[in-house]
Amino acid sequence: MSAAYPLGPNAILEVREIEKSFGGIRAVDRCSLVVAPRSVTGLIGPNGAGKSTLFNIISGLYRPDGGEIWFGGVRIDGLPPYGIVRLGLAKTWQIPHELKKLTVLENLVLAAKDHRGESLVNLFFNPSGIRKDERRLREQARSILALTQLSNLAHEEASSLSGGQKKLLELARVLMTEPALVLLDEPVAGVNPTLAASLMDLIEQLRQGGTTFFLIEHDMNVVMKRCDTVIVMHQGRKIAEGPPDAVRKDPVVIDSYLGG
Amino acid sequence: MRPLARRAATKKGGDPAAVDTGILVNVAFYASVSIIFAVLALGFNLQWGYTGLFNAGIAGFFLLGAYTAAIVTTPLDPPTIVGGVVIVPGHLGGFSLPFAFGAIMAMVVSGLAAVLIAIPTLRLRADYLAIATLAFSEIIRRITTNLDTVTGGTNGITKIPRLITFDPPNPFANAMVVLGAGAALVLAAFLVLSFIEESPWGRVLRAVREDEVATMALGKNTLLFKIEAFGIGGALMGLAGALFTLTIPYLEPSNFAPALTFSIWVIVIVGGAGNNRGAILGAFLIYGMEWASVILKDYVPTAFKNTIFYTRLMIIGVLLIVLIIYRPQGLLPEKRRVLK
Amino acid sequence: MVEPSETEPSLETRPHGFRLSPIHLTAAVRRQILRGLIVVAIFITFVAVLAAIFGISILQYTRDGFRVSAIVIVAAIGLTLIYGIRGFANFAYGDLMTLGAYVALFVNLNARLSIVWGAITSFLVLILVGIVLEVLVFSRLEGRGPVAPIVASVGVGLIIQNGINAVASTDQWLYSIPVVGDVPIVPGLGINWIRDVTTFAVGFSFMASVHVLLKYTNLGKAMRATADNLELAKATGIDTKRVTYAAWAISCGFASTSGVLLGLIGVVSPQMGIQYLLLVFAAVIVGGIGSAYGAMLGGLVVGLSQEMVVPLLVWLGEPDVIGLPHADAYKVAVPFMILIAVLLFRPSGIAGRQTAIVPRGVVTGAIAKALAARRAPIGPPGSDQKGG
Repeated sequence: MSAAYPLGPNAILEVREIEKSFGGIRAVDRCSLVVAPRSVTGLIGPNGAGKSTLFNIISGLYRPDGGEIWFGGVRIDGLPPYGIVRLGLAKTWQIPHELKKLTVLENLVLAAKDHRGESLVNLFFNPSGIRKDERRLREQARSILALTQLSNLAHEEASSLSGGQKKLLELARVLMTEPALVLLDEPVAGVNPTLAASLMDLIEQLRQGGTTFFLIEHDMNVVMKRCDTVIVMHQGRKIAEGPPDAVRKDPVVIDSYLGG
Repeated sequence: MRPLARRAATKKGGDPAAVDTGILVNVAFYASVSIIFAVLALGFNLQWGYTGLFNAGIAGFFLLGAYTAAIVTTPLDPPTIVGGVVIVPGHLGGFSLPFAFGAIMAMVVSGLAAVLIAIPTLRLRADYLAIATLAFSEIIRRITTNLDTVTGGTNGITKIPRLITFDPPNPFANAMVVLGAGAALVLAAFLVLSFIEESPWGRVLRAVREDEVATMALGKNTLLFKIEAFGIGGALMGLAGALFTLTIPYLEPSNFAPALTFSIWVIVIVGGAGNNRGAILGAFLIYGMEWASVILKDYVPTAFKNTIFYTRLMIIGVLLIVLIIYRPQGLLPEKRRVLK
Repeated sequence: MVEPSETEPSLETRPHGFRLSPIHLTAAVRRQILRGLIVVAIFITFVAVLAAIFGISILQYTRDGFRVSAIVIVAAIGLTLIYGIRGFANFAYGDLMTLGAYVALFVNLNARLSIVWGAITSFLVLILVGIVLEVLVFSRLEGRGPVAPIVASVGVGLIIQNGINAVASTDQWLYSIPVVGDVPIVPGLGINWIRDVTTFAVGFSFMASVHVLLKYTNLGKAMRATADNLELAKATGIDTKRVTYAAWAISCGFASTSGVLLGLIGVVSPQMGIQYLLLVFAAVIVGGIGSAYGAMLGGLVVGLSQEMVVPLLVWLGEPDVIGLPHADAYKVAVPFMILIAVLLFRPSGIAGRQTAIVPRGVVTGAIAKALAARRAPIGPPGSDQKGG
């Protein structure tokens, strides 16, 4: 556990000795971990372990007090969130942040990284290119909506979606950014079991296609069934990692979290 | 706007030349100034109604545009010196360029100022932004009042050339020309704004207003978008300033007090934040109140002449309070947009 | 052990509560007092240097600076109270100051009573005004974000200012007070009983009473708690309604007093208060929103910087230097620049969440820290959503 972590094919994401405090409280306390490419890696731990905070740090929303984060060979701590997304790392929200007044389709098209219509200069000098982009990206959005079973809601205002549908929208939006690594913050919390299963099936399908998933979850069934590797955090640092079965039986983990 | 004046003409019986042009000039003036307020409101609407940036320094950008246009278009006006004492300071000028150039320079200067101010302040939360922009507006006004050699100080800039000089002078024709130019400009502004607001760029702005953090997390450099929106809004305010110079005999700093900024707030709130049609309508309504109060002044006993003016401002104050509490979305709500 | 909640990052931060430490004479407090004395010594040296450069007249400007500071401090304490408890910048505050000055004027001239009675009446009237404002307007805007109350306060200001214009005309008035000349202290410096002694005395007594209120009274403690965290205060049984009314009462009362003081050192005119509005905002933000002590420090900084820069400006205005016309009119630019610098580098102000009351290394440390924190959108305030 104290060996240096090599980059390259063995790790798409590497967190090194990350620290973050709020006021006097250490939310993340020299946390180090590694996520393997094309994996579905779970992050578990009791409430207050620092999991969501770590995700916010990785995605650039918080600046760490110390440590480094490496993604695909590039150091990303300190980059603004939009830079990190452009590199291929995107995060969903634990509580969905759908853009309420936009339609579902607009929510997705907005997430595209390379829409020329978002540049003022292009707006006036390349209107046809913009029309092409809009058409192409709407098509792309529709196919993702089909994947996430939201097609019939394409023109509904995002505020009218149910809780489970909003979670699906979170995932769909993130997929629109063509990520190599997706951070999922409790992707199936509050979602009915059937929908949850199809969501996780979709994730597995996408993983086969080459996307890596790093997810926070409290639902142990999901974690045990769907994750290749599980990392356990407690009080701001990693206390265990390994395949689900091993972690489940780890006495350190049981002590702090599972409680039997 | 234009139809308003024509309707008045035909009402009186057909031949415009026979009509009492005094009333028409007055109405044309009302419409022109309403248009100026409308352009200001369109600019503020983009900044606040659309992007959520609360600008309390509208008067400052308006001032920059007006003075830039005046300086660019006026002929040289040397200082008046009597017995070695400067009575009327001259101002920077002597370029005598056409109005179009003045308008473009006004937009550039105000737009640039808006961008420069935006860069450090747009990260601030709304009340800090309000204070910072108010401070900017007051600093600009104070500099204008005191930098005599450039701006003419409290005496201001005079002899601003009209758009077309009629010989012999014809106030009616002048008024019509200004009205025509204003109508064309506000229409152009409206169309351009509609175009960019319906565009993907505008979509990002709407997302920023609603949830900036989520938009950032979707890979957008939200600060850049906010700066762009603020800059375009500022340029529009500069354009309004240029138009303003056509409607007044001379330009001086007291026109640009914060009360102007607050009037634009009322206009945009009345018309519905985010709604450009509402902004234009609101401008005609609110300025209509002021214009009406000026006319009423003549029919009121002397003791109350000024009271009308103050009452109008108090009404605006009450409007602000009542609207923000009970109907902040305005009289005309924002259009529902649906992607097809 | 308190566990951090896994909160979503938010760009909205509420203004901070009041910062106060119990003043037992511990070693820490002794150190603070020592630091304070050092600051005073530095200031005196600074003035001495300026006197060497610009002549003994600098003392006049220093006195002017303290005069302005006293008024700004009283006003800033009132403003920061409402900023901390109701969470918004009261843009009507300048007009409330003006209203206070006019009520005192009315009592002074029409009822032919001493200005002291005028000031007392004004204080009471403004307390009433504050409570009415809360009941009619601002209580209905709770939870609507920082922009809606600003808009409403602008409306209130328009009503007050134009009401005054309509009733009392735009003329300038003077209080009916005994005319007193300056008493020379040293060559180049005169102290005026009314303009200086009264202002300083009122300023000090108000500062002291606020200190006593916040530290020793239950109401004061309740106010601090409410400003810190409204929900928590409600949950712990504090009557936040009563606290809010008290805050409005004190805020508007202080506004009236600072308005009267302003009228004492100058004239009473409808624009008198709004001319000071940005200065008072500057003092509040420099000192840290919600901090009464911050308001005192901020007021000092703002007042002194504005007045003591005048000799420099006059020198700059001379034809062979820059030849800037009306150079002394730019003196208000100095507090504005300080305000903008604070907004950019340390928006939480001097007495914001992280510093001691007597600032130590505040500038460089703050710039470094804030520059680091500024890159991430969380922390120093970011832009809010559309208010209302």
